[in-house]
Amino acid sequence: MKCPPFSYHRATDVADAVAALADADGEGKILAGGQSLVPVLALRRARPDVLVDVNRVPGLADLAGREGVLHAGALVRHTALAAQDGHPLVAAAAGWIGHTAIRSRGTLGGSLAHADPAAELPAVLRACAGAVHVAGPGGTRRVDADGLFVGALQSDLADDEVLTGVELPIPDAWGFAEFARRHGDFAVVSVVAARFGDRLRVVVGGVAGTPHLVGGEEALDALDPGGGPLGPDHVDRLADAAADDVDPVSDLHGSAGYRRALTHEMTRRALTDLARAGDRSATSSHRREPV
Amino acid sequence: MTAVEPQPVGEHRPATGTAVRRKEDTRLLTGRGRYVSDLVLPRMRHVTFVRSPIAHARLSAIDTTAALATEGVHTVFTGEHPAMRAVSLRARSALPGYVETDQPPLARGKVRFAGEAVAAVVADDRYLAEDGAEGVDVDYEPLAPTVCAWAVPTDPVHDEAPDNLLLSRTFRAGDAADALAQADVVVERELTTNRHGGNPIECRAGVARFDGADRRLTFWSGTQVPHLVRTQLAELLELPEGDVRVIAPDVGGGFGVKSVLYPEDVALCLMAIATPDTALKWVEDRVEHLLAATHARDHRYVLRAGFAADGELLAVTADVWCNTGAYSVYPWTAGIEPLMAGGLLTGPYKLSHYEATVRGVATNTSPSGPYRGVARPSTVFAMEALMDSGARALRMDPIALRRRNLILPADIPYKMPSRLVDDSGAYEACLDRAVEVFDVERWRAEQARRREAGERPIGIGVGIYNELTGLGRAASAGPRMPFRTGHDACTVRVNPDGRVTVFSGVTSQGQGLETTMAQVVADALGVAYDDVTVRYGDTDESLWGFGAFSSRQAVIGGGAAQLAGTDVRDKVLALAGALREVDVSDLDLRGGQVYVRGQEKPVIALAEVARVAYLQSDRLPEGFEPGLEGTKFYDPVRGAFAAGVQIAALEFDPVTGGTTILSWVCVEDAGTIVHPVIVDGQIAGAIAQGIGGAMYEHLVYDDVGNLTTGTLLDYLMPTAGEIPELTIDHVSTPAANPTGARGVGEGGTLAPNAVVAGALADALGVEVDDLPVTPARIWALLHGGADR
Repeated sequence: MKCPPFSYHRATDVADAVAALADADGEGKILAGGQSLVPVLALRRARPDVLVDVNRVPGLADLAGREGVLHAGALVRHTALAAQDGHPLVAAAAGWIGHTAIRSRGTLGGSLAHADPAAELPAVLRACAGAVHVAGPGGTRRVDADGLFVGALQSDLADDEVLTGVELPIPDAWGFAEFARRHGDFAVVSVVAARFGDRLRVVVGGVAGTPHLVGGEEALDALDPGGGPLGPDHVDRLADAAADDVDPVSDLHGSAGYRRALTHEMTRRALTDLARAGDRSATSSHRREPV
Repeated sequence: MTAVEPQPVGEHRPATGTAVRRKEDTRLLTGRGRYVSDLVLPRMRHVTFVRSPIAHARLSAIDTTAALATEGVHTVFTGEHPAMRAVSLRARSALPGYVETDQPPLARGKVRFAGEAVAAVVADDRYLAEDGAEGVDVDYEPLAPTVCAWAVPTDPVHDEAPDNLLLSRTFRAGDAADALAQADVVVERELTTNRHGGNPIECRAGVARFDGADRRLTFWSGTQVPHLVRTQLAELLELPEGDVRVIAPDVGGGFGVKSVLYPEDVALCLMAIATPDTALKWVEDRVEHLLAATHARDHRYVLRAGFAADGELLAVTADVWCNTGAYSVYPWTAGIEPLMAGGLLTGPYKLSHYEATVRGVATNTSPSGPYRGVARPSTVFAMEALMDSGARALRMDPIALRRRNLILPADIPYKMPSRLVDDSGAYEACLDRAVEVFDVERWRAEQARRREAGERPIGIGVGIYNELTGLGRAASAGPRMPFRTGHDACTVRVNPDGRVTVFSGVTSQGQGLETTMAQVVADALGVAYDDVTVRYGDTDESLWGFGAFSSRQAVIGGGAAQLAGTDVRDKVLALAGALREVDVSDLDLRGGQVYVRGQEKPVIALAEVARVAYLQSDRLPEGFEPGLEGTKFYDPVRGAFAAGVQIAALEFDPVTGGTTILSWVCVEDAGTIVHPVIVDGQIAGAIAQGIGGAMYEHLVYDDVGNLTTGTLLDYLMPTAGEIPELTIDHVSTPAANPTGARGVGEGGTLAPNAVVAGALADALGVEVDDLPVTPARIWALLHGGADR
């Protein structure tokens, strides 16, 4: 469990990072928090020629709310996300990531670019219909959440692109529920529910290669609660719909049937919370005691 | 923890029974422990092992050309290297029908499990060694693998055992078939327990150096058993035993995994001999540990129990399969788990009719070895499952049914159906105390209230166990091996300044043995705890010790320390009496001062006696030799059974299978407690590992023998977040040994399987037959379908 040889480049700014990746000709990797990359290197399952360290790039750790959207730099750590109160949903979700040491190093941009379908932040980005900003040799582009996640551990980013920032719209109401084997584990199933006006987005993590948006973009109207409060019957119908909509696989931690049942229950819990506290503060019961 | 106040001269406050400051904590808690991986020697080189990715295959060719061409690589060894070719580890036992097999230090001819070492690369550092390992090209010709010990074997793992059966034994007492026929109620269970392992924080590690000039081997090893390792290395390497020195410095956990001498250890020493005067270091990483350190508890039990209408347990029959993995673990043999399973299955219950056939079956998986509790977490699960099923069938309270059958003080000594002799009888006392501390009535009321209110169900689980500790020569650990592990030695030396150094045969992997031995010697000799220093783990320092396993060290090492301390006390008093011309029988040694009984002022200080003994032979009275030390062995002959009871309340979420532990009580009989915090720490750690095995830890192989839980991402160990507050309480019936102690190292691991499974059945009415009790399994039991 020792890394294979690589060379190391400490990027001075985003352009420098992009140039270093371009020079590496597909064999470069961004080093941000390193919480997923370093174990993979130690297992020699990745063998990049160059690690481009972006930790000293100025301006990538800013965090600000403007006009209903949280704008976060890619280097914002999970601890900072958990501590801010402008976007209580992402604060709650960040509290479920790993343990203190992991949250202190791990970054928002790193988690989104890594695109683990059982991770919390990709599900939040998709539920909030957020977007990321990407810099590459040809300039910058904006990729929305639905386009970012291509498959398990696969994002839309090219080898020479750097994720620089995140736009995370702040929902009017939200709910988050997760079932994990232990404190800090990746979700067996997690559900993020976010309401923007009369639109409801429910995303399930851990059941597919990417965070699964229940009903897809077109079906959202069918799930629309019509602006009124969500009653228990409606919550149950939506939970049924979510469970029907997912197509999970079986693995060590549970069968497809079990994951479907968890999808139902986590959806029910997330929506119940969403319905119960439209204007809940960041210090709700969703906050998890750090471990 | 209680601070020790300075004590007035001449006053001796017993160290035993108090939570004195642990001697090892300054270094262990401030990051200054000295582990094998901290050892740096001049010109030291680093070793990595190339491991088979295939479970069962013939080795046709190994090409090391590219590896040798890698920058920083010095040598590559394979099983056919002249240094390796002739050496095999061969775990021996005189047990009838036991099939002896060879385990090569590096695979020869074929590989028998995924993870077996096939080559070793020596380089300037570990990174370069791993670069070199990628250049070792091995041709494998796959054979059909056997993974499950109760499946039909295909290509045998060892030619010597065509049916893969390395060992089988039937325990028989009375007439079980007849007694079952006469029983009012017969219950049947078919259970499997989950393969898991010790996973100490520090994985295995070794540094070997062979001095070419005087042909001496020094092996620094994170072992629990340095003296045994010395004997075994001397035999395997054909070196005079006096020219082998084994040093176990600070060791970061062992749990039995490090009581094994591994092929990697032997390979490392053979390579060191082949490259004299060059130290070679191997530090195992977690991936290697999960793959190739010993596993345990991969068992199947097919059980029947007969009860009389009043609850009397009449008969038990058991068919047991233990997966021993690819090799008979050295030196403990493939018998370690099956024989413990058959010998201790009936636990704390009186039983006259018993028939159990146990088997050790070779498979193409990592070898099974001793792991804290050896087989008994599985057998207690099995026995308590019979009790719980019996209680349901008889419509009896499960605690009442257990109580009806416990071995009682009046039955002691009680000959178990396996003919082991139980000296405890404290089960009912532990049960009474546990029922009281846990408050069964309150939890039953809460259970009823929740049922009424439709709230989340809770269940109460119970596990009662006997921990066989401190095994003497008549009950020696291990199956008729060529050595008997009944004894340890201890040397107590009073130095010329009157302070005391203890050379103990015990070893420590974090259990605080430095402290415990110092407490025992301080009290036996009559000196202050702070004036005693303990050395262990170096075979050039301590005379003899079998080391750490089967909860033996407080009993046996402590016994030797007590006897050696008393011996030196007698010597001090004899010399003091001669120097002061006082009758020895009037003298007493307390707090480092010698008194005439009844007098307030000491007649001579221990320091002055010591000075005479070493430095002033002109003052030595007639008949006294210089020096002041004593060495004693202790062997308890049988052993000390330690009774224990755990009761817990667990809440279950029927929708998700989620489980929350609400209360967990453990009451054990540790006999005389030397250090209360250490004892409670041992029990708490053991329960935590037991909960890990019951709910989280599972080493899973796929059908072709690939380990699918190869990192801690998939192999789940409980963390502080999963372990509840534990309530630990005690009853104390001192054992018949010098310190009165009963072992506490393993007992805590024995009950959690039974407690968790029992609580689930109590809460939701479903019997769980396969461990671990995971949320997915609970969900599957309740809703049907697969759990994975």
